[in-house]
Amino acid sequence: MKIEDRLSLLNYKIDKSYEHITVNPSICETCPDHFCTFACPAKCYSLIDSKLNFKYEDCVECGTCDTACSHGSVAWTNTKGGHGVKYKFG
Amino acid sequence: MSEFDVIVVGAGPAGASAAIKLASAKANVLLVDRADPPGSKNVSGGVLWGDSLSQVAPDWEKGPVERYVEAKGVSFLTKDSRISIDFRSKKFGEYKSGYTVLRTKFDAWLAKKAKDSGAMVVSGVTIDKLSMKDGKAIGVEQAGETITADAVIIAEGANSRVAINSGIKKKPSDRHIALGIKEIIKLPEKTITERFGLSSAKMGFASEYVLGFLDGGVKAGGFLYTNKESVSIGAVISMGDLRNNNQTYSFNIIEQFKEHPFIAPLLEGGRVEEYSAHLVPEGGLAVNSIHGNGYMIAGDAAGFTFSNGLVLQGMNYAIVSGIVAADSFLQKKEKGIGAGANFSNYTDNLSKTFVLKDMKNFRGVDAVTWSNSIHQTIPAIAEEAMLNMFSESGEPKEHLAKILFKSLKERKESKKDLAMDLYRMMRRM
Repeated sequence: MKIEDRLSLLNYKIDKSYEHITVNPSICETCPDHFCTFACPAKCYSLIDSKLNFKYEDCVECGTCDTACSHGSVAWTNTKGGHGVKYKFG
Repeated sequence: MSEFDVIVVGAGPAGASAAIKLASAKANVLLVDRADPPGSKNVSGGVLWGDSLSQVAPDWEKGPVERYVEAKGVSFLTKDSRISIDFRSKKFGEYKSGYTVLRTKFDAWLAKKAKDSGAMVVSGVTIDKLSMKDGKAIGVEQAGETITADAVIIAEGANSRVAINSGIKKKPSDRHIALGIKEIIKLPEKTITERFGLSSAKMGFASEYVLGFLDGGVKAGGFLYTNKESVSIGAVISMGDLRNNNQTYSFNIIEQFKEHPFIAPLLEGGRVEEYSAHLVPEGGLAVNSIHGNGYMIAGDAAGFTFSNGLVLQGMNYAIVSGIVAADSFLQKKEKGIGAGANFSNYTDNLSKTFVLKDMKNFRGVDAVTWSNSIHQTIPAIAEEAMLNMFSESGEPKEHLAKILFKSLKERKESKKDLAMDLYRMMRRM
């Protein structure tokens, strides 16, 4: 099953006014490994035309990318106001 | 005068247990969870082992539990084979094994217990960090405001942003976390009972797997637990190995597990209902100290998990640490020690329980559970030995020791490494 299809099963309350994770594009540009693209279980990080693309909307708030990125690009905070992923089973 | 006696950050098993205990003792307690409803961001395997929860919720087995574990498995999976222990015992009726649970339901039920006990339960509110004054926690900060309390219990789970933001926990390294990825597969109740050979619809199967067949040699453990009308299946992936590999997508590993020739038939006809991911604390204590002035750290946030490859536990450690944290506050309160007390009594009290004893006795066990021996050498040798023993070639038979020695000789890994890992296994498991 494709990851996109698995993610589509999830409920999110998306916070349009606050991105709880941000990346620093100038760091990502020179990144030798882009390990985030392999580590993130929600495929929030992908390479498009060898440029890193990040979207916070699919994030399941696990925190993996904060450890995965060893170059200091990821700034990780919790979602606020009950926003973000909402599991049915957990 | 603080607004609360205690603020508990995080409504999982640790936080809710602490809140129930405190509220039952008439303490003025705030249990705050960033998810709404409380617990709806929580994930675990999950089997709740043991009976620790009965200390604060004597009727928990009548709560939203799924199935009682009457069958426990451990397997090595190679590309073509499964080598298993499948343990079933009538004695699981006398001994306490565990119940499978689905955390969103289970944690909401626990949070409700906390509320019914008299705690104030607030959901959908994110705490930013401890509020510190003169080296003591005086409460928590939320959106720039301070909410004061005599004590704070940090029970926010494996991804501990409050502890990190407060400077009392370091951002985890590859050694201190693994990545857990899980799916809920819907199957009819009757199918589950029959397929796993269970004695009734109340009884369940729980198994751990060593996934020795993954692409690129990435190391991961697998788990499969039966719920009432679904199966929880997942992988716990070593961050260090995933990083070294750097070409395997984490989200594909669970698919490789599901497609294994001896796993796929167990899931046949099932429909994926949910996909989830969560960090799993690894490698022992996650903080230098689990207590400080005005605060205590409980559950996953402190690194209280246990895994020796045969069993994965965390919720029972969380519950006990939450209860002991609550008790430790009540001890101080009884002595009239108010805001910002040094909760060294929490560490002392917890040292007397299995939580800190196991942490100490099993320190370094992760070196075994993530070793090449466990993930590659032993499964490969075992597979070859079994194939030799259980097939008939028309040739004279060999002694088991000779078969084992021969297949070991053909492996490229150093025998010294295997000997070292076996020694560690004996000592640490």
